[in-house]
Amino acid sequence: MQDISLHLLDIIENSVRADAKCVKVRVINNVTKNRLRIIVEDDGAGMDAHTLQKAQDPFYTSKEERVKKVGLGIPLFKQNAELVGGSFKMASEPGFGTVLTVDFPLDHIDRMPLGNLKDTLLGSIIGHPEVDFFIHLLYRDKAKELCFHFDTKAIREELGDIPLTYPDVIEYIDQSLFEGIQNTNMEDV
Amino acid sequence: MKTLADLKKIREKAQEDMKLRGGNVRIKIVVGMGTSGIAMGAREVMKTFLEEIAARNLTDVLVTQTGEKGLSSMEPVVDLIEDGKTKVTYGNMNPDKVKKVVVEHIVNGRVVSDYVVATGN
Repeated sequence: MQDISLHLLDIIENSVRADAKCVKVRVINNVTKNRLRIIVEDDGAGMDAHTLQKAQDPFYTSKEERVKKVGLGIPLFKQNAELVGGSFKMASEPGFGTVLTVDFPLDHIDRMPLGNLKDTLLGSIIGHPEVDFFIHLLYRDKAKELCFHFDTKAIREELGDIPLTYPDVIEYIDQSLFEGIQNTNMEDV
Repeated sequence: MKTLADLKKIREKAQEDMKLRGGNVRIKIVVGMGTSGIAMGAREVMKTFLEEIAARNLTDVLVTQTGEKGLSSMEPVVDLIEDGKTKVTYGNMNPDKVKKVVVEHIVNGRVVSDYVVATGN
């Protein structure tokens, strides 16, 4: 993976596969604390303590049908955070969901870039119309705080039976995310 | 700034559209979005499908994402599922190939056999 938003896409897919009905994504660019924090919270199946431990092992997968028992998504994300002095934490409760918190030191020269957050979010939202996405972007430095909220539930209520893949809706979501990412200084992070 | 009022306009337009044409989904596109697919460029493939659908105003096409399906060496992988026809799986996809599949397969109804890696289930 070349950037953080590709890892984010991978992690969101995990949540969807765990039958999440709602996925909350927070990206917090905190210049004051020199920290880029990603939080993904879902209300999916959750994991017990043993599975949670195993999920960080590259030679574990929850997919029964897989012949080669590998699952690299979580281990790679964890490795990329820890390599630059960041941290990777997962908490989970069976039946309630999972929360993942990943921190990167903003100014580390080897930190992966945040990458194309817009395309990650756009793909996830439109590719999973059955899931509600709650997106929260936050930028903070000494002088100011900027934030952006995006909630697909409100959009779906407004649209009624019009699908998210309707051409004008794709453009609407794309444009909204673009504006939100710009307004919170999330491009080129 | 985009607001929910913009959505109201879109809904009115879309409802008119559906009255004329019916709201049927003709083709479902499923993009494999597992770890290896993402590492090989599946996000750009998904994005190109969305751009092409919006640019060509294709209102009877649905795009979704799914996890890995055991074709890791051919990622990114895309399924095209059409009512009453055999499922077609395209492999080693990239944005240029996506554009060709949209024109040839989705608009003109001709399978792009060069990119096909599997058919049926």
